[in-house]
Amino acid sequence: MEKVSIEDVKYIAKLSKLTFTEEEALKMASEFEAILTHFKTIDNMDLSDVDINAFDEVNTEFRKDISEVFEDKKKLMQNVKSLRDTSIQVPKIIE
Amino acid sequence: MSVEALRDGIRNKAFTSEEIVKFYIEKIKKEDGNINSYLTICEEKALQDARIVDEKISKGEAVGKLAGVPIAIKDNICTDGIKTTCASKMLEDFIPPYDATVVKKLKAEDAIIIGKTNMDEFAMGSSTENSAFKVTKNPHDLERVPGGSSGGSAAAVGAKLAPFSLGSDTGGSIRQPAAFCGVVGLKPTYGSVSRFGLIAFGSSLDQIGPFANNVRDCALALEVIAGTDPLDNTSSNKIGSTDYLKGIEDGVKGMKIGVPKEFFGEGLDAEIKEAILTSIEKLKSLGAEIEEISLPITDAGLSAYYVISSAEASSNLARFDGIRYGYRAKEFEDVYDLMEKSRTEAFGDEVKRRIMLGTYVLSSGYYDAYYKRALKLKKKIKEEFKEVFEKYDLIISPVSPVLPFKCGEKKNNPLEMYLADIYTVNINLAGIPGISIPCGTSKNGLPIGLQILGPHFGESKILKAAFALEGALK
Repeated sequence: MEKVSIEDVKYIAKLSKLTFTEEEALKMASEFEAILTHFKTIDNMDLSDVDINAFDEVNTEFRKDISEVFEDKKKLMQNVKSLRDTSIQVPKIIE
Repeated sequence: MSVEALRDGIRNKAFTSEEIVKFYIEKIKKEDGNINSYLTICEEKALQDARIVDEKISKGEAVGKLAGVPIAIKDNICTDGIKTTCASKMLEDFIPPYDATVVKKLKAEDAIIIGKTNMDEFAMGSSTENSAFKVTKNPHDLERVPGGSSGGSAAAVGAKLAPFSLGSDTGGSIRQPAAFCGVVGLKPTYGSVSRFGLIAFGSSLDQIGPFANNVRDCALALEVIAGTDPLDNTSSNKIGSTDYLKGIEDGVKGMKIGVPKEFFGEGLDAEIKEAILTSIEKLKSLGAEIEEISLPITDAGLSAYYVISSAEASSNLARFDGIRYGYRAKEFEDVYDLMEKSRTEAFGDEVKRRIMLGTYVLSSGYYDAYYKRALKLKKKIKEEFKEVFEKYDLIISPVSPVLPFKCGEKKNNPLEMYLADIYTVNINLAGIPGISIPCGTSKNGLPIGLQILGPHFGESKILKAAFALEGALK
């Protein structure tokens, strides 16, 4: 059984930009233990001959790197929660 | 009535597109209260678009392959000017400023977008119980789930609230709900349908595909949405002909079909097993050559799928930070607090679990043990399927080990829910196409689905076999 502590959950939560209560973190730790234990089934496979850096089917036809103008600027910004003139308003970052 | 019959009827003026759209909207208003397949109904716009098609026809102008036929779209596919929520509080009021390529293609063929369908939040789930807004019910038994994540799209077609629909499939999200709702659902080859405008979950696995009430309609819908797209770098230039209806009646005579013994082991429901074996006998009688094969990857493949899809989800969903669009928390201290609070308040439990799992397997110290090994296994699985398809035309298997389960039955046990995806996830890892078609019902009247898999870009072959079996099972 994989061991996952509440501290592990809190550390991963910080990296994920999420917050959990103690109760939620405890529940997640036990769910993670079960799931990560199942993930260990991959260890039973012999993968020594697999090279993940050898690609066989890569699309080589990229489109030209040319910028296009999105005509309707108002539409582009229609989902912004807080707009000042043409800029998105966010809390102060630099004091 | 089939999509083809509706289209032909509209084209031949037996009825108008407006009449058809009105019929479906009235039916949705009357019946969807029990099923909850739709999140948004585009009544006004759909009727307006229908009238435009009718006018074109009355003037004798040329119209598209889907002229005037209504279609429902899963709510993670962007529709210009129509709310696209991913069934998440995060995108509750998000209105895309553009159409996904598949939506553009449908509109170019004069299809009518009738509404947006419910799903598991950000396509993470197998029951459509993870929607932030409503729980979709199985039209065959309202106490049971329709499958997921494209449960709304499958239930809408199954309940005849849309003649056809689009869904997305990252680990079985088209095939499993198709099986649960008794409809046809097709996951195309990775790269054969553009994903531009599909809100990303697991980018190396996601694929858009159609649901319909019969195989021909599915082929027709695929014909419209397939093709290379310069806006999606993962779309392939090796797709070949997209005329999937051509030769669909050719049958299975002479086809070699493999049946993987690992898919019929412990855990498979007895009634599902029986229905699949009966279908295999039908295929034999139609002239197919059936052989048992071995694909010993199922358990480990499931793990690799959840490692890779969660890792990609954690990266893809990092964009939802409450800054440019999406939910923004009401109170916060600084910009970091804004991001953390917005994400914590707006994402549901399953989405948080996947983001956390993904971040865990990508974090320092665990990357090699989980993520890198999962990528290696993904590659091995692709090779194993390739080897099988050197000897066999197709593979046949169950879609799900279990019949549609009761609402709430698996919701509190995430691992148990993940295990129900065991027959579908490997197909996404390999990037091959697969179709789910109804092949019988349980003694309690629940639909049973059968999965036909083919080699990369082998959609025509799959559709031929599906069409032949559909006819034989009638």
